Amino acid sequence: MTAPLLAVLMAVQFDSVPKPRTVMAIGQVALINTFVNRVDAWVFKQDWARSGTRVWGEHLRLGWEWDEDAFTTNMFAHPYHGGLYFNAARANGIGFFQAVPYAIMGSWTWEYFGEKYRPSLNDWYMTSFGGITLGEVFHRITATIRDNRATGQGRTLRELAALPMDPIGSLNRLVRGQWRARGANPPEHDPGSYVLRIGAGARFAKGLIADSGAARMGAMLVDLLYGDPFTTEYRSPFDQFGVRLMLSSNGGFSSLRASGRIYGTNLNNPARTARHVLAVNTRYDFFKNRAQSVGGQSVEIGINSRWPIGSRGYAFRTSLFVDGILLGAIDASGTGLGTRTYDFGPGGGARWEFAVDRHGARFVRVFGQWEYIHAVSGASADHIVDFSGIEANIPIGRGFGIAAHSTVFHRISRYSTAPKDERNYPEARLLLTWTKAGFKP
Amino acid sequence: MLLTAPAWAQRRDRPHRSGLWAELGAGPGRVRIACSGCTDVVVASAPSSYFRIGGTVSDRVLIGVEVFSSLDRAFGFSRGDTTTTAETATATVVVLWFPSRRGFFFKGGVGLAAGQFTVPGTAGVDTSNGGGIGLTFGFGWDFAISRKFAITTNLAAHVTAVGDVVLPGQRIDDVIATMYQGSIGFSFR
Repeated sequence: MTAPLLAVLMAVQFDSVPKPRTVMAIGQVALINTFVNRVDAWVFKQDWARSGTRVWGEHLRLGWEWDEDAFTTNMFAHPYHGGLYFNAARANGIGFFQAVPYAIMGSWTWEYFGEKYRPSLNDWYMTSFGGITLGEVFHRITATIRDNRATGQGRTLRELAALPMDPIGSLNRLVRGQWRARGANPPEHDPGSYVLRIGAGARFAKGLIADSGAARMGAMLVDLLYGDPFTTEYRSPFDQFGVRLMLSSNGGFSSLRASGRIYGTNLNNPARTARHVLAVNTRYDFFKNRAQSVGGQSVEIGINSRWPIGSRGYAFRTSLFVDGILLGAIDASGTGLGTRTYDFGPGGGARWEFAVDRHGARFVRVFGQWEYIHAVSGASADHIVDFSGIEANIPIGRGFGIAAHSTVFHRISRYSTAPKDERNYPEARLLLTWTKAGFKP
Repeated sequence: MLLTAPAWAQRRDRPHRSGLWAELGAGPGRVRIACSGCTDVVVASAPSSYFRIGGTVSDRVLIGVEVFSSLDRAFGFSRGDTTTTAETATATVVVLWFPSRRGFFFKGGVGLAAGQFTVPGTAGVDTSNGGGIGLTFGFGWDFAISRKFAITTNLAAHVTAVGDVVLPGQRIDDVIATMYQGSIGFSFR
């Protein structure tokens, strides 16, 4: 009885944690760069892709510079590209920390050898660090979408749904026949506790389109909490993370924020009613609309606390984090570099949150975030961004609810050669929400 | 089994560093200064030094903080000019990874940087200061001398992006200085 059970357990273990394929992962990173470069050069006839040995020599001689690409290119497209490198490693059985050099070296080789333009330091930062955060988020989200036990059309639809977020993982699975093969799911498939909330409705934003009046537009919001800081004990990086995506009918893709735990520990006895846990997170921020553009890659450290209220699963939660911005970007119209309209620089800040939840799903949330960015490339400036708000979600049954959000985005930019720039952007959202949650205490 | 192994084998199997560790070193450096839109770079030699201190994550991974500085008293932004004093420094969180149980390691880190360029002017000196982002990567070898002490060789690059440098008669936009350093350090563990 014991031997067959042990054999099954070993098979499951082998299937869910494949042996690392280092050479295959390195080859796929090189293939990504070669493929993207050649497609741009041969199919899209892009001048920047016409790189060669003479260009490589120039790049090695001249070294880094800052580029002038559009905000979305630098702050979203490059991190997404970095996620491809990272997930080339993850799809080949390489662990989180071991996959980090793949994102870093994939980006470095692309900057020096993949483009005609000089290597861009901001691209390297965004591709490497954004790629690590987004890459692991996509890796885990797609692991929950894919189901190795499913069959038929449903199975194919799951594999197709995962494709845009993790194309490299999907291609690896396709080549290995894993789109159809049945087997055990990887540990990332089941996050334990989770909350998925999708909302659609209206967004009212003063000053978003013009400097006066309130603009009204459609909005769609997706909140995902994978794992829970209290019920998911730290075992591996990103076993707990949160993502918020917002799409708007005016401006399209307007925000994406992701924060994942790379280290965590209990600060008090887990058996105690009130819990306090320390977390170190990597954070990705992308916030863009017609009024403001802010984003960056950060590392934050802080404490999450939870105090249960009564015996029906309600609790009061707090979070307090301080962060260092490895490289941030903020719009600074007319003061950027060349055609660029935003500054790059490092910084730091803090964020806090008070919330009331039931089984991990928040009903009321009050939060604030303060960030400082010192411009290194662009204007000679210091930027302070203050973002705060209150959000309430009232359940109306069967997972549906009505959500009302009110936020204020405030910024002060102090330029050495221009007057101080101070702006306020209040915003309100009214959404019909649907929440699906699983809570495993 | 371990008790019967020869002493040299036991020494090779133990971690290179454990617990808290610190390292101090210095060596020659080569600095390359580039800027946005520049078609050429300025290259000069400068002495450099570093200090790093940290802890042990595992027997192959160390994490710490590194402070690196470079000082060139005969620097110039154009050929033949040696009137500028260039000081650059980085403070970075670094990770040292030993791929095997031998002394070879890779190093990488990110953090902050500062740069100061000083030139003699008509009324004293003119100084341009800048702060920004710092980045370092490289490799090295720990030669264990005793259980608590090692001599460490390093080859590393330190990238410092410190913003615009504004000096009398010239403005250099978005300066990025890359320092290549060969050094010897003393490690205490």
